[in-house]
Amino acid sequence: MRKCFGLATLVIAWATSAAAQGALTDARRAGMAGLSLGREGGLERYNPAYRAVPARVTQRGQPKLTIPIPLGIIQFLHDHPDLSNDPAFDPKSTGFNPILVANTILNLPLYLEVKQAPTPTNDVVVVVGKDQLIVNLGAAAELVPEDQFGISGSSRPLDPGFGFKGFRIGVMGWLHDDVQLQLGDKLLGFLRDSQPADTNTRYNVLVHGLVEAGFAPTVSYAGRIAGDSAGGLYIGGALHYYLGVGYARTDGDAGFITGDSIFTGPNPVTPDGRTFTQYSSPGNTLGHGFGGDIGFAWVSGPIEVGVGVNDIGATITWPDTRQDSAFYHDSSFSKPFNNHVETKTKLPVSYIANVAYSVGNTTLGVDLLNTGGGSVVHLGGEQRIGLVALRGGVARDQRKRIEFGWGGGLRFGPVGLDVGFWTHTNSLSNERGITMATSLSIY
Amino acid sequence: MRAKWLWMLAIAAVMAGCGQGHAIFIVDVYSFIKGTGADSIPYFVPPGSDSASSTPQLINLPGAGSSFVDSVTVNGKVNLENQSGTGTIGLQLFLAADSAGTFAPSALALTVPDSAVSGTQATPDTIIGRFNAGVIQLLAGSKVWFRLQAKGTNPGVSLLQGNAVMKSLQLTVVIADQLF
Repeated sequence: MRKCFGLATLVIAWATSAAAQGALTDARRAGMAGLSLGREGGLERYNPAYRAVPARVTQRGQPKLTIPIPLGIIQFLHDHPDLSNDPAFDPKSTGFNPILVANTILNLPLYLEVKQAPTPTNDVVVVVGKDQLIVNLGAAAELVPEDQFGISGSSRPLDPGFGFKGFRIGVMGWLHDDVQLQLGDKLLGFLRDSQPADTNTRYNVLVHGLVEAGFAPTVSYAGRIAGDSAGGLYIGGALHYYLGVGYARTDGDAGFITGDSIFTGPNPVTPDGRTFTQYSSPGNTLGHGFGGDIGFAWVSGPIEVGVGVNDIGATITWPDTRQDSAFYHDSSFSKPFNNHVETKTKLPVSYIANVAYSVGNTTLGVDLLNTGGGSVVHLGGEQRIGLVALRGGVARDQRKRIEFGWGGGLRFGPVGLDVGFWTHTNSLSNERGITMATSLSIY
Repeated sequence: MRAKWLWMLAIAAVMAGCGQGHAIFIVDVYSFIKGTGADSIPYFVPPGSDSASSTPQLINLPGAGSSFVDSVTVNGKVNLENQSGTGTIGLQLFLAADSAGTFAPSALALTVPDSAVSGTQATPDTIIGRFNAGVIQLLAGSKVWFRLQAKGTNPGVSLLQGNAVMKSLQLTVVIADQLF
């Protein structure tokens, strides 16, 4: 029972947090390949004008609450009945699989995999000799990035506040993370082009990492400046005074230097790295800076258009930063460089653009969202026939892959049950897997 | 040791996202023994039967963690440079985790069939075959010891003597690519 309670808490907590960021916890959105036709999802988060835009009168009511039905967790527990003793999840086991663990944490198995994306087969050839090492990654060599790669994004986990007559005062939490890597030419050639490892050569990766978080007292306004309740032009804007609680940034160059021989000798490879780290710990003087959001939404009969831009000019000044340089070559040392100095960071600009068209029982929409890590496009629609809703959509993800969604729902008074199917692919194959999402909506 | 970890880190980071398949390690064993003396195995077979063997030799490998070794095939070339006598000479290859272990009968990985030798002729021979299943998991480690042994028969009445000189020796190790 305690296990079930914990599981339920985990699901609800994750769903709430994810929903706040526009992530997919709703089978209706899954059925439209991630498109949100209502006010949930990213519209109000990324377009401040939408706080004033009423729900479309032509669209049937949106649910007050959506609760995911985590059939995927049942499937996961069936596949891993004794998780605490599962070798793949036990770091002390030889069968420990950190890739599976990381994937499970990052992609909670909330929904049911009705069709697994086929795992591509790919043989890797490694040629080993006394003074020879060649790696041929096969088709996977194409995945070795030639340019900078990484993950980044900004989010606002909390945004409590109160408002009156279009104005709103609140305090939002903000979080920005950015991790970028770039392979050096020698390592790139070794991994991507199967070039033999060379003696007395440095193989390296350039590393950039940044995480910063804080809160921001915010004054915002959203209102209609033209038209009436049936249609008009809405604008919104928010002014944030960002207060940074802490940040850490590192820029480095890490690698190793081969010796006179690749696989023999007392010390054939020497680790070699250097990094410049800057941080302002929680408890130091807060970082500070101004920035803003703007947006507009235009509603005319069945058509709705909106554009929102966030964190414009959001540069944070950190007045109490420590800077260290670190170096490793056989042995490590860290050298304080500067302390109590001023540094600056910048939040990425996020933006959203959306168009929706409603006529009769049909609603169509498209949106484009960029949170600093690449653009995502969703296109889809919903057709209601009595108690039944039919949905479909197509999306282009950050990897520029096309995915499809379809599904339906039934509504009985204040309760609705929705099912959505959404395709997904992995890196080496164009064959798609299918996820089935289920959720309960309270109207 | 850290050398292998660093190499494997670079390789594993990419292989982790490579999908299901095999890691195929082609190990040029000859490159590790060339010029060390271990590439020439003297044989000395009196009338009756006897054998001679090389010194155990260490091979460094990248290491494949807890991966399962599917199979190991070997191919190579050897010259049987006979100096005297008439008979047959074959080779045996032993693998073990340490030097002393290569002398245990259980370390036998491959037996190369005998070839006929006589006089002062050099007889080229081919080494080809599949390692015994009992020893192949050693190839997933970061080091392995191997020992070559010449074994012969001498039906004649004079001494059979010469050297088995390796010209090439290559292992193809097929591994299920769970590198962690």
